[in-house]
Amino acid sequence: MSAPSLDTLLGQVRDLSKQYLAGGTDAFGAFADLVNLLLRTTVSKGSIGVRLNAGPRPKDRMTVVGAVADENHLVSLNDNNLMRLSIILFREQYKDGHRMKVEQARYQYQCDDIGKRWIFRYDYVREPKDQHPATHLQVRGQLAETVSLHKGMLERVHFPSGRISIESVIRLLIEQFDVPPNAAPETWRRVLAESERIFEDIAHRPLSGPSA
Amino acid sequence: MEQEVLELSRDQILTRIERGAKMRGLLYSAPELISRYREGRLDDPSAVGDLIAMTSLLPDDDPLFVRP
Repeated sequence: MSAPSLDTLLGQVRDLSKQYLAGGTDAFGAFADLVNLLLRTTVSKGSIGVRLNAGPRPKDRMTVVGAVADENHLVSLNDNNLMRLSIILFREQYKDGHRMKVEQARYQYQCDDIGKRWIFRYDYVREPKDQHPATHLQVRGQLAETVSLHKGMLERVHFPSGRISIESVIRLLIEQFDVPPNAAPETWRRVLAESERIFEDIAHRPLSGPSA
Repeated sequence: MEQEVLELSRDQILTRIERGAKMRGLLYSAPELISRYREGRLDDPSAVGDLIAMTSLLPDDDPLFVRP
């Protein structure tokens, strides 16, 4: 089967984004499909990157998680490493209808299944319950200089950050960690940029990188 | 929509949390893990953030969330 054209991919990005922004009952599925499209076009080794989970709670809340390994929520990457991915979505009443929002988003780049050998993490928590910044970056490594660190380790330091989009995490993996993409740069950059543009327009923020 | 929604029962959610925690070297029951997470008693809470996220699929009045 031939790869979809750039125009087809951009059309799918716009349709799925429109669908999740509308906040209807199909918003969760549209968001999961969009994430799969982004991963498939870029760093995912398999055709399905994430799946949608629901539970006993009324269907106003679902999670999007990495589809590899039920307990570890992983996405297989083209560099044979993994990304632990977990996003909590919820719908709430807004004016005459509903809108979908993200309650938490967690992305962890790691070398092993269980995540002991992780490299970096981004966590976003809408309503944090602890003292750490609501949106933060952690890096597992060592500093070149000796300073006093939280719990004595760089990896326990929660660097405050702005809210990070999945597009910017994917871009980081390709551009800074050399994860091979599944499409040519002129395709994956446009696809990520289009998806991120729609999201960031709502937040009135710039993109995380060039669109072409 | 390309994929189906995977419907998890309460037992399945708790089992996955416990199995996930065990794989990561934390030998706690699901209620104990959640209690430790909420009270800030885990050394590296972000290491299990994705497991704790599964509890968001339970209703607000689930016994897990009721403090004694």
